[in-house]
Amino acid sequence: MSPIEDQFSATHIAHDELIASHVKPYIGDADWQVLTGNLGRIAEDPQPALLARVFTGISRIVKPADKGRWISLDGAAGPGRNQLPLLVKDWIPARLLRVWTLMHIPPLEQAAYVQLIERLFLYGEMEELVALYSALPVFHYPEAWRHRCTEGIRSNIGPVREAIMADNPYAAAYLDEGAWNQLVLKGFFTEADMQRIVGLEKRNNARLASALVDYAHELHAAKRTISPHLWLLVAPFMDERAYSLMRNILEQHPDTGTSRAIAVAFHRSDYAPAKALLRENSELTDLLNTAG
Amino acid sequence: MCNYSDRDQASMGQRVALELDLVQGFRFFDPHIHMVSRTTDDYQAMADAGVVAVIEPAFWVGQPRTGIDTFRDYYSSLIGWERFRASQFGIRHFCTIGLNSREANNEALAAQVIEVLPFFIHKEGVVGIGEIGFDDQTPAEEKYYRLQLELAREAGLPVQVHTPHRDKTKGTSRSMDIALEHGLDPGMVIIDHNTEETVKEVLDRGFWAAFTIYPFTKMGNERMVEIVKEYGPDRIMVNSAADWGISDPLAVPKTAALMVKSGISRETIEAVCYKNAIAAFGRSGQLDEAMLQEQAPIDQGQKFEGNSILRGGQQPRRNVGSIVIS
Repeated sequence: MSPIEDQFSATHIAHDELIASHVKPYIGDADWQVLTGNLGRIAEDPQPALLARVFTGISRIVKPADKGRWISLDGAAGPGRNQLPLLVKDWIPARLLRVWTLMHIPPLEQAAYVQLIERLFLYGEMEELVALYSALPVFHYPEAWRHRCTEGIRSNIGPVREAIMADNPYAAAYLDEGAWNQLVLKGFFTEADMQRIVGLEKRNNARLASALVDYAHELHAAKRTISPHLWLLVAPFMDERAYSLMRNILEQHPDTGTSRAIAVAFHRSDYAPAKALLRENSELTDLLNTAG
Repeated sequence: MCNYSDRDQASMGQRVALELDLVQGFRFFDPHIHMVSRTTDDYQAMADAGVVAVIEPAFWVGQPRTGIDTFRDYYSSLIGWERFRASQFGIRHFCTIGLNSREANNEALAAQVIEVLPFFIHKEGVVGIGEIGFDDQTPAEEKYYRLQLELAREAGLPVQVHTPHRDKTKGTSRSMDIALEHGLDPGMVIIDHNTEETVKEVLDRGFWAAFTIYPFTKMGNERMVEIVKEYGPDRIMVNSAADWGISDPLAVPKTAALMVKSGISRETIEAVCYKNAIAAFGRSGQLDEAMLQEQAPIDQGQKFEGNSILRGGQQPRRNVGSIVIS
């Protein structure tokens, strides 16, 4: 181990133990011995066949009664430098075990490392793909996974997209503006839980807000529901086109969630007519003060 | 030109009302159906009729494939997208993976397919090697049938054997002979597309006998009722093999309904339309009755979210009774 890697090995071991302690209860003793032995071999010399076998076979070693259990743990970092935290919220044991398996792969050299993991993507079944995309924050060579991440956002499989969108800091940290905007638009389009998108406000931008206003107009014309969350992203870039639609919606007596979101958006905006409307409308101002 | 819409209604028989209320409360398992060729309406109708799980064997997609990548993508769709699509209707989707007999005849490609199979057969929800066997009964078909039997034996997986349409009786005997030659336990082999002519030998030799209820070209379900009356429920299972042809994804529930009408016991119907297939493919270690008793986890245990089928707040159920689409 090089001196630089050595500096990080202490934290690595801590996180390794943290994850181990969360997954161990769901695996029989004999299977646990085999698994940890294999993970040790993967860490030393990640042979593609061994990695594929361990990664694919994970669900078979979780005790049947525990397959559906949910694990949550915050901020388990990966083994390398500058890695993003792994945010584990309501994961089934197989998902965390698979990500943990991937965390054992040493950095190798970039092309070999990427190829090894890309092969798993190529042959991945649904749950494997969920784990692979969940591991984006803890893969080495983070810049090398941008294309893979944008591919995943295009997936038709809901849980695969969710693995990237929900509680995953990779996209906000590494996607360019165009790809990020697609992620957010796709999130609204597929009714994802927008609150779970890491970096939603930080990565907000004028082009995104403009596309969201177009989308809101389209939904409004089709008499479909508009997510209240959309207005919060529009707020910093409000213009006449956005404002007129929001005012129009308010006049149609929407549900409280929508009214409140529009009130908050007006409050956060610098757009004078929105500010003025807010001042004149005590019902809206009251909504600002209610929790929610 | 053959055009079904030109067909004389009289030649298609009397229209008979669906009597699926006869099987209200039954649970069905269709162990052979090609959902990649079916619509969401089919999934909805199957779920409504009591189908809780299916097995999708890898097969010929109606047009020959010309490269290994299309094979790989097809296998990936069976363990990925199609599995997810089924879960949206509360149906558990399993599959069998293999090189079908027709495409075994493209030897250059077949050799490449054999190379990728090991990457798929150990995956979650893969309950066997299938559907493999004979079509024209060529030497190439035999070669790849044998190679895949070896693969199944090494992996400890059941085999789903497609029997030929032409020269069926001999082809079926030969398929069983070869399976035994490779040391397979007949209890790990499901011989599919049986008829009155093949069933006795299949059962006598200890194999599972599957019957495909498929209009015009395979079994009709009135014949199926007679077979169950004659042979009883042991080691017999019913499937639809519904695909891109004129076929019926409700073949299993419809056959069960006909069995109820014919006075066959509920226990027997449950055996041939649900339990036997689970027992046979359960030998993969990937499937059992307890697993199917659980409410099928929509999105595989994760929260139900919007997706490309049910997107934009659209209601999951299409309103078939209205000309208005909203």
